[in-house]
Amino acid sequence: MRRLVSSLAWLAVACLGAGALGAIALRRGEPVNGIFFVVGAGCTYLVAYRFYSAFLAARVLSLDPTRATPAERLDDGRDFVPTNRWVVLGHHFAAIAGPGPLVGPTLAAQFGYLPGTLWLVAGAVLGGCVQDFVVLFFSLRRDGRSLGQMARDEVGRRAGLLAMVSVLAIMVILLAVVALVVVNALKQSPWAASTLAATVPIAIVMGLYMRYFRPGRVIEASALGFLLILLAVVAGQWVAHSPEWARVFTLTGPALAVAVIVYGFAASALPVWLLLAPRDYLSAFIKVGVVLALAAGIVLVRPTIQMPALTRFVDGTGPVFAGGVFPFCFITIACGAVSGFHALIASGTTPKLLTRESDARLVGYGSMLMESFVGVMAMVAACALEPGVYFAINSPAGIVGAGAERAAATISAWGFPLDAGAMHELARRVGEETLLNRTGGAPSLAVGMAHIFSGTIGGESLLGIWYHFAIMFEALFILTVLDAGTRVGRFMVQELLGRALPGIARPGWAGTLVTSAIIVGAWGYFLYQGVLDPLGGINSLWPLFGIANQILASVALVVATTILIKMGKRRYLWVTLLPMAWLVTVTLAGSWQKVLHESPRIGFLAQASALERQIPEMPEAKAAEARRVVFNARLDAAVTAFFALLILALLAEAATEWHGILAGRRAAASTESPYVRTRWAEGSSS
Amino acid sequence: MRARLRAALRILWWRVREWSGDAAYETYLARRGGGEPLTREEFYLDGLCRRYHSGRPDRCC
Repeated sequence: MRRLVSSLAWLAVACLGAGALGAIALRRGEPVNGIFFVVGAGCTYLVAYRFYSAFLAARVLSLDPTRATPAERLDDGRDFVPTNRWVVLGHHFAAIAGPGPLVGPTLAAQFGYLPGTLWLVAGAVLGGCVQDFVVLFFSLRRDGRSLGQMARDEVGRRAGLLAMVSVLAIMVILLAVVALVVVNALKQSPWAASTLAATVPIAIVMGLYMRYFRPGRVIEASALGFLLILLAVVAGQWVAHSPEWARVFTLTGPALAVAVIVYGFAASALPVWLLLAPRDYLSAFIKVGVVLALAAGIVLVRPTIQMPALTRFVDGTGPVFAGGVFPFCFITIACGAVSGFHALIASGTTPKLLTRESDARLVGYGSMLMESFVGVMAMVAACALEPGVYFAINSPAGIVGAGAERAAATISAWGFPLDAGAMHELARRVGEETLLNRTGGAPSLAVGMAHIFSGTIGGESLLGIWYHFAIMFEALFILTVLDAGTRVGRFMVQELLGRALPGIARPGWAGTLVTSAIIVGAWGYFLYQGVLDPLGGINSLWPLFGIANQILASVALVVATTILIKMGKRRYLWVTLLPMAWLVTVTLAGSWQKVLHESPRIGFLAQASALERQIPEMPEAKAAEARRVVFNARLDAAVTAFFALLILALLAEAATEWHGILAGRRAAASTESPYVRTRWAEGSSS
Repeated sequence: MRARLRAALRILWWRVREWSGDAAYETYLARRGGGEPLTREEFYLDGLCRRYHSGRPDRCC
């Protein structure tokens, strides 16, 4: 009887989810409410978790609840600590949720709400969650080994090196792109720039508090930091209204880029307790708080979706970034659906904390579902804006024209009515000079979030405060990634160069400064190039980041497939092979188009050639700028081609290994740690 | 009823402290092996060093 009730309940959940997704997909010409997205995604996640993740746990991975985890076997109270599974879920979610699931869906909204939403939901349950779960499980069975180590041990030495190089490459592009999002959000905005600048001394005060006054008291210091940050958001309004201070904090894109580069260098070289750690703690609290508040806000406000299901830009002529819905929707939305970067986190701290092997299902599969839900909420926030407003904020001046009137005329001609006066009014209401051409996704997401938050608390009068709170939240998120990523990149450079120059790997200021300069110089170059790009930078750099991230996901799935073959799970190889094949197809198609597409807006080489032909007719100052853009376009083409070659090389390496094992020519040597029975199982049996 | 609520809130508070890292020192003291324990300050700095000097990313994009 109970089984029948349970089956009927799950059938009802499945029907509800299918109904909501059907309404999203099939309604044309009628407005859709944001609550359909929440219900459709939520029900799909519940069904996927209950059935698909259970299938993966039982049949594919054969999770063994009697087997001791590394946290139990190697428990040292520091690195390896058996931890409550809900606490680990919180840890893991806070680690994987960054700006990506917020920005990617916002940018992909240019295709309409449908492609991105379907990819967020389907990509997560069939790809992203599977990747996170299997990598976490395999690392758990190998004492918490990293993805790179597993690639070397399971696929081969070259695969390990390829994984390491791809991690470093993605790091450089990732840091440049997220820094560019911050720069675009802060430029010409004294309120936002002063608020974010204030977070640096606030983090230092927190760092001093946790270092000297109350060592390790994270919650006290974070509460103090949060109050000071709220004060900084409010004070930013005064800064914006003060002619002297507003002048100081009204910064151009290049000036902000230099400031972010200097900041990144300082954060990489300074002691971690002073800046990086306090910012990280504060960011984790604000991140979880804002995500919960956004979910509650969407349920309470139930915003109507203004964006059509599909826009004319599915053909690749979109103003936010160029390229058709295939493959660019699946590259633009990486985090939120499938993100290779998660494989690094799943093979990092998390496997050292799990108390029971069965907890890997909740933490690996479950936290990725939560991240996907964040992406769906970002999509709702972006699509709740008037499409004309969305395109006005996210389109570069090079496409819609400079000035509100020209932008309004261009965007209205696309079929998205926009009134220049309404844009001025919206900017005034959120406390900005202008919202036009604020590419990168962060400002439009902040406008969407501000509408949702102000619909819940404070109404119209707090719209400006909520907008700048949202900008501060996104920028804080991003700077935390920038700090931590630069430092990790620095260690990777030290490790790579240390093989040839041992002196650089030794502890000391010289090595720290040199390697910090190398990694900051690498992402700083791409950042500066993006800032100077006449199409706003996001157009070229975000797809590059998406390609790099999805290639890393392919690396993780290649390693997972290899281990499944060695485990003798041949009949279940499709669980990793299908998402891997999709990602390889998407990344290779995307790389091909970014390098060789004949449209100058899509293909880097076509862009370089088109511009080069115009140089002889340009005045010298403009010609110099054009020559730099030509060089950068060719550099981007080379980087993209390098990514494509990387994945092809890894696939060739893995295919050789797979063929050898399947044909019986190679032993399927396992690198799993030996079985040790868990004391929890002993306790329960006694 | 009130006692049960208080106990539940105490557990919730402990979980939040565990999640944030606020309770890491207490966990260490409860689980460490033999030898002189680190002071709270030493433990905090040691934890930061291991977390941020591992060369492994622990924050995603």
